[in-house]
Amino acid sequence: MEADHENNGGRDLRTMSYLVHLDVFEGPFDLLLHLIERDELDIYDIPIARITAEFLEYISTMQLLNLHVASDFMVMAATLIQIKARMLLPKPVVCEEEADSAEEEDPRQELVEKLVEYKKYKELAMDLRAREEEFARVFVRPVGETADRLVIDDNPLKGISVWDLLAAFKNVLDSLAPEEEPAAVPKEEISMRQRMQEITASLAVCGRIKFRDLFGKSNSRTALVTGFMALLELMRLRKVRVSQDVTFGEILITAAAEEGATG
Amino acid sequence: MNLLQARAVIEALIFAAPEPIGVPQLCELTGLTRHTVQQILADLSEDYQKGHRGLQMIEVAKGYQICTHPYCAPYVEKLQKNPRSTGLSQAAMETLAIIAYKQPITRAEIEVLRGVRVDSALNTLLEKDLIREAGRKDTPGRPILYGTTRAFLKYFGLKELSDLPGIDKWLQEEILRERDSDAGASDSVADDADVADDADEHA
Repeated sequence: MEADHENNGGRDLRTMSYLVHLDVFEGPFDLLLHLIERDELDIYDIPIARITAEFLEYISTMQLLNLHVASDFMVMAATLIQIKARMLLPKPVVCEEEADSAEEEDPRQELVEKLVEYKKYKELAMDLRAREEEFARVFVRPVGETADRLVIDDNPLKGISVWDLLAAFKNVLDSLAPEEEPAAVPKEEISMRQRMQEITASLAVCGRIKFRDLFGKSNSRTALVTGFMALLELMRLRKVRVSQDVTFGEILITAAAEEGATG
Repeated sequence: MNLLQARAVIEALIFAAPEPIGVPQLCELTGLTRHTVQQILADLSEDYQKGHRGLQMIEVAKGYQICTHPYCAPYVEKLQKNPRSTGLSQAAMETLAIIAYKQPITRAEIEVLRGVRVDSALNTLLEKDLIREAGRKDTPGRPILYGTTRAFLKYFGLKELSDLPGIDKWLQEEILRERDSDAGASDSVADDADVADDADEHA
């Protein structure tokens, strides 16, 4: 929250203090109270002209900083100006008996009452805040759960003998389908050279192969890798050409016979 | 069951209970008289205080609860998986104070007192379950009335609404004010104490 302090020195400090407090004010009442307390004014006898000026200055500071001035502040500014205007008006001449009632018609009265009332709840909120802080430092066991037993003594196997368990286990074993003997698979030894020959052989027959079909028959990881490396090697040797018309489309492998022959 | 045993039983019940346990329930569970239970509770509470224990017994939301002592907080906090959420904002706290002391109260009435709109503060408080809707006011538009919850009492470690800080002074001022203004429409907190009672039982 930095603002340019190009103003004259006297105002600087005040602007600063506003800046510090800007986000603390909870509304026009809060600001008014702050102004009254800062200047140690009597809340029941507010110098309305002075307070109005200070209030307006605060609002213009907010505007200077391009802060959104809440409508509540505007309403309060208007109220203050109205009270100020009413105080400036000459008092109607009253006779002696009516002097008392005339005194009650202080234009500030309504505002003062509201301020005093607000101040009361602001103070009560502070009391609550103190309690909030105090009880934030108190810990309880998780609410809503009755204390757990330290040891779970409900025996889930009550009345069951080890023979029952054995019988149950035998049932499980019996229900299993007889296991098929795994077929012995001889390790397939395919060399890269062999695969290269296979690819060129198929190309000689078919003219072109789909990339997908190249791996169609292979069933082992080694075969796949060898096949792919064989393809790469053939490409490096310019014996095949690989093309793809569209992205993610079919990859076609064709023989590059001419280049192969010349190269 | 002699008195010492009864004391132990009550302590155990308070510890094991899922939430603050009240005197009526303790009587029911132990078969002891209300008077005896209250005596034992006072005794227990004093014991905790005198013994410089890490635990204390507090009375909150009309029930008794065993909890850690605030001075142990810095250490207990290290056990917490989730860091403590920040307290209520100033706006929420002021709004809550007004609701607590003046309940049931409408949003418009709160706004008059605070001089600003309180929608977001009300939402925060409702979300945190610190306030609840407490019926409708019998005025045009039948606006919603707000009151505090049982969770509110727990949050601030209050026994009941009459335990609110500065409530006596507040009531006196309020009575004087009403006499002055002769408005009289405002309810006293004492009447509204029931409001929080029949609030969410399982808060």
